[in-house]
Amino acid sequence: MKKTYMTGFAGVVLAGLVILVTGCDLSVTNPGPIADAALNTPSAMPALVVGMSADLSVAVTQTAEAVALMSGEMVEAGNYADQQYWYAGTFGPDEVITQWDDMQQARWVAEHGILRMQKVMGSDFDTDALAPQAYLWAGYSNRLLGENVCQAVIDGGPALSDSVYFQRADSDFTQALTYAQAQGDTTLMNAALAGRASVLLSLGDWSGAVADAQQVPADFVYDAIFSTNTERENNDLAYNTVSRREYSVWGTQWANVFNDPRVPWDTVYAGSQVQNGQDGHTPYLRQMKYPSLASNMPLSSGAEMLLIRAEAALRNSDLASFTTLVNDERAVYGMAPISQPANVASAWPTLEFERGAVLWLEARRLWDLRRWGAQGVNNFLQGRNSCIPIASDEALSNPNLH
Amino acid sequence: MKYRRASCMIALLAALATPFVAAGQETTGTVRGQVKDSATAQPLSGVQVSIPATSQGTLTDARGMFLLTGISPGSVTLDVQMIGYETGTRKVAVTAGQTAVADFTLAQRAVVLNQLVVTATGQQQERQLGNSVSTIDVAKMSVPPPKGVQGLLSEQVPGAYVMANSGAPGAGGIIRLRGINSVSQGNGPIIYVDGVRIYSGLTPTMPLNRQGELGLNDIDPADIASIQVVRGPAATTLYGTQASGGVIQIFTKHGTTGAPLWSADLSTGFNNQGHIGPSADPTGMFVNKCSGIMTTSDGTQFEDPSCPSSGSWLRNGLIGKYDLSVRGGQGQMSYYLSGFYNNTDGTLQNSSTQGKGFRANFGFRPLDKVSLNLNTSYTRRNTSWVPDGDSAEGFLLNVTRGPKNSFKGTDCTDSGVKCLDNAAIFTTQNTTKADHFITGVTVSYSPGTWLTNRLTFGFDYDEVVNQNLMPFGFSTHPTGVMYWNNWVHKLLTVDYVSTLNNNLSSSFSSAFSVGGQFYDDRVESLDVTAQDFAGPGQPTIVSAATREVTGDERERVVNAGFFVQEVLGWKDRAFLTGGLRVDGNSAFGKGFGLQPYPKVSASYILSDHSFWPKSLIQTFKLRAAIGESGKAPGAFDAERTWNPIAGNDGQPGFTPAQIGDANLGPERTWEYETGFEAGALHNRLGVDFTAFQQRTSDALIQVTAPPSDGFLNTQLENVGKLRNAGIEVSVHGTLIQRANLQWNARVDYSSNHDKAVDLGGQVITVRSTARTYVEQGYPIPSYFGKKVMNPNAYADPIIKDNQFLGGEYPTQIIALNTSVQLFNRLTASATGAWELGAYLMNAVGYQNARKGTWYGCYAVQAKMRAYAAGDASALNDVTALQRVKCSQTSGVYDYDFWIEPDNYFRLHDVTLTYQLPQFRFFGARSASLTLSGQNLLTVTKYDGTDPQVSDLRDSSMARRDYYVFPEPRTFLLSLHVSF
Repeated sequence: MKKTYMTGFAGVVLAGLVILVTGCDLSVTNPGPIADAALNTPSAMPALVVGMSADLSVAVTQTAEAVALMSGEMVEAGNYADQQYWYAGTFGPDEVITQWDDMQQARWVAEHGILRMQKVMGSDFDTDALAPQAYLWAGYSNRLLGENVCQAVIDGGPALSDSVYFQRADSDFTQALTYAQAQGDTTLMNAALAGRASVLLSLGDWSGAVADAQQVPADFVYDAIFSTNTERENNDLAYNTVSRREYSVWGTQWANVFNDPRVPWDTVYAGSQVQNGQDGHTPYLRQMKYPSLASNMPLSSGAEMLLIRAEAALRNSDLASFTTLVNDERAVYGMAPISQPANVASAWPTLEFERGAVLWLEARRLWDLRRWGAQGVNNFLQGRNSCIPIASDEALSNPNLH
Repeated sequence: MKYRRASCMIALLAALATPFVAAGQETTGTVRGQVKDSATAQPLSGVQVSIPATSQGTLTDARGMFLLTGISPGSVTLDVQMIGYETGTRKVAVTAGQTAVADFTLAQRAVVLNQLVVTATGQQQERQLGNSVSTIDVAKMSVPPPKGVQGLLSEQVPGAYVMANSGAPGAGGIIRLRGINSVSQGNGPIIYVDGVRIYSGLTPTMPLNRQGELGLNDIDPADIASIQVVRGPAATTLYGTQASGGVIQIFTKHGTTGAPLWSADLSTGFNNQGHIGPSADPTGMFVNKCSGIMTTSDGTQFEDPSCPSSGSWLRNGLIGKYDLSVRGGQGQMSYYLSGFYNNTDGTLQNSSTQGKGFRANFGFRPLDKVSLNLNTSYTRRNTSWVPDGDSAEGFLLNVTRGPKNSFKGTDCTDSGVKCLDNAAIFTTQNTTKADHFITGVTVSYSPGTWLTNRLTFGFDYDEVVNQNLMPFGFSTHPTGVMYWNNWVHKLLTVDYVSTLNNNLSSSFSSAFSVGGQFYDDRVESLDVTAQDFAGPGQPTIVSAATREVTGDERERVVNAGFFVQEVLGWKDRAFLTGGLRVDGNSAFGKGFGLQPYPKVSASYILSDHSFWPKSLIQTFKLRAAIGESGKAPGAFDAERTWNPIAGNDGQPGFTPAQIGDANLGPERTWEYETGFEAGALHNRLGVDFTAFQQRTSDALIQVTAPPSDGFLNTQLENVGKLRNAGIEVSVHGTLIQRANLQWNARVDYSSNHDKAVDLGGQVITVRSTARTYVEQGYPIPSYFGKKVMNPNAYADPIIKDNQFLGGEYPTQIIALNTSVQLFNRLTASATGAWELGAYLMNAVGYQNARKGTWYGCYAVQAKMRAYAAGDASALNDVTALQRVKCSQTSGVYDYDFWIEPDNYFRLHDVTLTYQLPQFRFFGARSASLTLSGQNLLTVTKYDGTDPQVSDLRDSSMARRDYYVFPEPRTFLLSLHVSF
């Protein structure tokens, strides 16, 4: 009996010691997520740059939806909670979390990705085709922030002027241009020039903006990429307007614009009745600029460049040049030319309409309205919030903002 | 690494096997007898008859008879015990080849301190425990409980809160014992079935059926002998990491020595929905009544010609439940075999769940001191769902919105009305097919009363295939779409415990236990979206032109640990217990290899002293316990990671996933509980009181990193402190006990008040669209948002933002349970409960009010229209709260104004059972007929569809009433027959 007891307890103690001393295999298996250090290899760099593009696309489409309601490009027709505040122009830090987060992630991924690339690739970075592309994504993500947010925050730092993003974008586009020129990549050169032109406009450097803009061909378009390959690659604005009925063109100025290829929309019917939006009561006029989940969204275009030059001409009261440049832009889309406005004051609505049509649903309108409002030529944003504030999750989690 | 694991397991098994030295088998005798109730002289079935410190035992049959064979000759002590009865002990002289007789009469007792309960270290007498344990004697119930195990817990366990989530057949609930002590790691208990740990969560939800199933409900209630519930970390320390939410132990029925005993349960009945939504709404939100022309708030008329010919979307859903079991045994072997089939139709067409399965429990006694139990069960479930909750195709979401729905029709009789086609929703096919297999083998070795050993190997396999199909031609997805998910959960259990009992002196005893557990937990889940089918027909994934793998999870987490415990007894009336659990978990970060969790408890039977006034209070036990348990973070939570994605039209890329925290460890919950158990009025009245306080330190909080740092997913960090406190009181007893009349009653009261004490400056956003946050100083979680400061004033609303609007879980539960038995044949029983202190977001009210289809706002909205038309006095009798709740103006209406008190009383169950006299049909020995009704009455001021529903099954805590089908009433007629 005693022997049995001793044997039993010796076994138990031994088992405990086995567990304690040698340890069971407690290793976790969870394939999928990739350890941060695993990215520090040259072979990971192409995917890192694709990630920059992917995150920018997410940020662009999410911001485009919000800006569409904030700036009157579309109206709320659905059930989502935040949209009513965007449409009413009363949005606050709680209603812009998705947009702020996605824009910040796109910027961080691009900027820190470039730093990682430089560290991993060494001098090879300067001659690699990925370099101008990475700077381009960094430039566009900074421009997206600069045009839409009220204040800048960089990497958990304090609140700064929103112009910081334009300055960073200017630098990024310049780097992209330098590398693209060295590598003879015309597409990236034009994209960098177009991006920089739009940023210089925002910084008030009109001569610089015009100088860059006039180098870009009129038919040039550079897109944020969307795809049906995976859900994350979908154009979310298309999802919410084609797959669902969350935003309608009904009630906007564009609902009175017909047969304009820059502002395509149609009316959705259910049987003989006009289909209502997801909210059940807003007549559903569906945007058709992005008819598919794979519809790309322009980041820059030659048409926009013509309008930058037209606005510069208008600022110089050069109505003849203004009219020529606007008509050049309209010709890109096969639109009939306009007559020269009688005066500068009557030309501004034309410019605002043309830019509104060309940049429709591209997350650009809020900035145009904001800067034109500051200039006193547009009052749409009076009594409304004019930019995306620092989101509440940033405000709560960033100790430099407390 | 594989070698290390193998060596570990081999060493463990080799070590554990050593106690089982061979022992000889001897010539034996038999003991038989009968057990009766001392007051009624009625035979007691299901009484456990055993020989202490051996593996020998059996249960009495329907006539109270038992038979024990293979007993070693000599003086043998027999113990008999049954939940709710005083235990009996008798010495019997056993002679080889002879049959000894030992009859017992047992008296009902409200408090039974000698009752055995199963703890982490094995069986202990209740008198030794410093914590409270609730035991449900399921076998004693006249028919298997129709609402499954989760329903049993809510009705029978003080402090247990079971949220049904949905009235859809098959939908699983959420179980909470003693409230919330974790923000991020779940608060559900861990569950064991015959010593085998099973997955305790819900299966995955899908885009259309937004409810999961609960594996616990796969256990056929007819197979369950008893359920033990241990609440709080002080009691669950030895169960290790993950046990701070409590432990539920389910014990299934086992074989008995003797001839086969057959038992059959046949039940039939129906589900009936009753009125949906506010009682004043004559159409029941267009669900109860859907025929003819209906109108919205603004007078818009609509018609749905697809409404069933009955004029209602609802039907009575038929129920059929059939259980058959046989138990018996001979010599060294016993068995319990059972099978079941059940079908439950919901109150909507296409809504049903079918289950079928079997159980095979075998007991062997290969050696005199060794017993072996093999328990296996298999369940197959097939559930068909109607789209529910926050789904664009959801039934309630569309039907209750009237003409603001997504499904338009063309066949209306009146061309001037809006025409709907909500029956299109029923062309979706939403199914869950599940296979649940649980098996375990337990080997017990007891060379004498001084040493017991128990080793359990177990395996829980739960596989689910979910499918949502909108077929080709479906109106909102004309080319069709299918969401498909295959989820497999595998959980391996190895559990060993050994206890050395020793009398240190005539006054002091010792029970020293050591044990170890190893859990290997694996989840594999694959999600596919397939869309754009070429044409009609029953598609597969490859039928679709576009296919995307949207999820691929393969996770393995291992938890291993060991414990030691010493129970020091003094004169069998005072017990001091000290224990230590040490755990390792593969999810711990660096420096957290092994985590110790200590416990100390004490119990003192004051009524065993001669000074105790036994004439007033016959039994009195004081107890106290303090202990710690923990919860481990997820498998990769400590690491900084990136997710592989696609971009640039299908090119491989990376995006930030999780920022990581190398110092991540488990959160730890300390609990102190104290209380007493008392029996008075000749032990017919029992009182069980417990007060507890829990403090969670290093609470794992999902912390948001600044988005400008690039990582958007929250990161678990050990930053928080939480507190939870409450009391549990159970007063139960036999109010009347006569030969032909017996009245039992029980009142349970429990409270818990949890609070976030310190969150490291964070406000935890649980679900912003559900306005659910965790904030310092408030219940976990709570609603926060806009509040009308002058709700009842006839004036414009004064609104303040960021206000506390209420906690989301009940703080008080009062449960009533009573039964009356007449002439030992007719038993009537009822259970009901008040759940108080919670708030719930009536998101259906919010959505429908702004669309003009919430009946409660029709009058107010008419006044608003009159006001807008120039009637300045139209709003004079409209309160500030009504003005925002019923507003249809963008920027004014908000979910926040629809967060309402969720207090309610629910009559859970009323049962009438008649024991048929002299039932001898086809050799049956006894039979009973039971008529029962569940969920018969709900009394509440809550304005939504059901105070218990929630659609947010992908959130561990947030609650929201968002177009979830409410629980129906259930009526059942059951026949129980024993052969």
